[in-house]
Amino acid sequence: MIEFKNVNKYYGDFQVLKDINLTINKGEVVVIIGPSGSGKSTLLRCMNRLETISDGSLTINGVELHDKKTDINKLRRKIGMVFQHFYLYPHKTVLENIMLAPVKALGQSKEEAKKTALAYLEKVGIPEKADAYPSQLSGGQQQRVAIARGLAMHPEIMLFDEPTSALDPEMIGEVLDVMKHLAKEGMTMVVVTHEMGFAKEVADRIIFVDKGQILEDANPTTFYQEPKEERAKLFLSRILNH
Amino acid sequence: MLDFSILTENWDMYIEGFINTIYISVIGLIGSFVFGTILAVFRIAPFKPLNWIGTIYVEFFRNIPLLIIAFFLFTALPTIGIQLDGFKAGTLALIIYTSAFIAEAVRAGILSVPKGQTEAARSSGLTYIQTMNLVVLPQAIKIVIPPLGNQFINLVKNSSILTILAAGDLMYQADLISTRTFVTFDVYIFVALFYLVLTIPLSTGVNYLEKRLAKSN
Repeated sequence: MIEFKNVNKYYGDFQVLKDINLTINKGEVVVIIGPSGSGKSTLLRCMNRLETISDGSLTINGVELHDKKTDINKLRRKIGMVFQHFYLYPHKTVLENIMLAPVKALGQSKEEAKKTALAYLEKVGIPEKADAYPSQLSGGQQQRVAIARGLAMHPEIMLFDEPTSALDPEMIGEVLDVMKHLAKEGMTMVVVTHEMGFAKEVADRIIFVDKGQILEDANPTTFYQEPKEERAKLFLSRILNH
Repeated sequence: MLDFSILTENWDMYIEGFINTIYISVIGLIGSFVFGTILAVFRIAPFKPLNWIGTIYVEFFRNIPLLIIAFFLFTALPTIGIQLDGFKAGTLALIIYTSAFIAEAVRAGILSVPKGQTEAARSSGLTYIQTMNLVVLPQAIKIVIPPLGNQFINLVKNSSILTILAAGDLMYQADLISTRTFVTFDVYIFVALFYLVLTIPLSTGVNYLEKRLAKSN
């Protein structure tokens, strides 16, 4: 479904991504972990062309993402994205936030989009907030709305960029629950996170990235019990033993 | 003491100028707002040639006097067959001039909207123009209202220089009254009051909008 072949990315002289080869299949939940500045967010953001690649090939369902002829807007409709800082539209209500892209990018009728939006709000557990503005919601609620906003496009893939890193500890659970639920329904998910419990519980694969390279690509059990790389061992010991 | 007979005896002329100034201001306001916003989008669009056009326009027109633009339109355009009367040439000059300033204010407003807003909208499949219209500009406008208000007030006052093109504006009418009555002081005091009648509601309105929009956040 998502396929990186020898992908490199440079910022000037600095190489952010080094020879990335990665295939993510339909229905897989892939968690990307790694120290900050390792390139894991960049890797994720390449998947919907929020970041460009310098060379190599990156395809989604066989379509070359960085080909000039590719209709990126059409492709992005199939890929939902959730950000660390939610980025709900502050001038629109929760309902309007969720309805915007289905109406404007997919051309759905308002009634149809509203029905879908309400259904997804129900799903993320805050149907009563439909008419609230984002500023009236807690961080956890805002992030759940952001997930509903992504889902309302009926995407084939959902990308999560540190979805719980900006949340108060007590709100992390409610967002992770929604994500776990989604994973169990078979959504293809790529998640950059530091939530090891989540990774252990729902990930099919864990990708460990350091200095722009994929150092490990393993199932959670293998990764936690016998990481191959020294760097991964060190990273794990630091985040698990505190 | 002010001679109020100047006002009463020339009331019709004052009102004619007042109405013309309102016309010029309203057309100028709408025109320069729309055009200035388009220029602002040009300046930040992810397409270099548009950036250049925007930058050249802004740097050129905000750095030459309005009077020269007005004169140019009035005197040079007829040589290529475009005949504009003072009113039209003047209003157009005002739009060309003011939109350069408005472009800068709107650009600053757009840049102050977090980049994540654009990324969220674009990653949901909205086009660049949809993202601008539906997500970025509505947020930028709140930030832009105070500087925009200043530009609009300037526009109303700047319209007074169109008198030089005989645009029929307030100032022009005042000049006529003054030549006819040989009174200067009183005539221009009254004309200043007419301008205040226009600008004070404008600045009050801007303050009100600013407060109301701040609340909605």
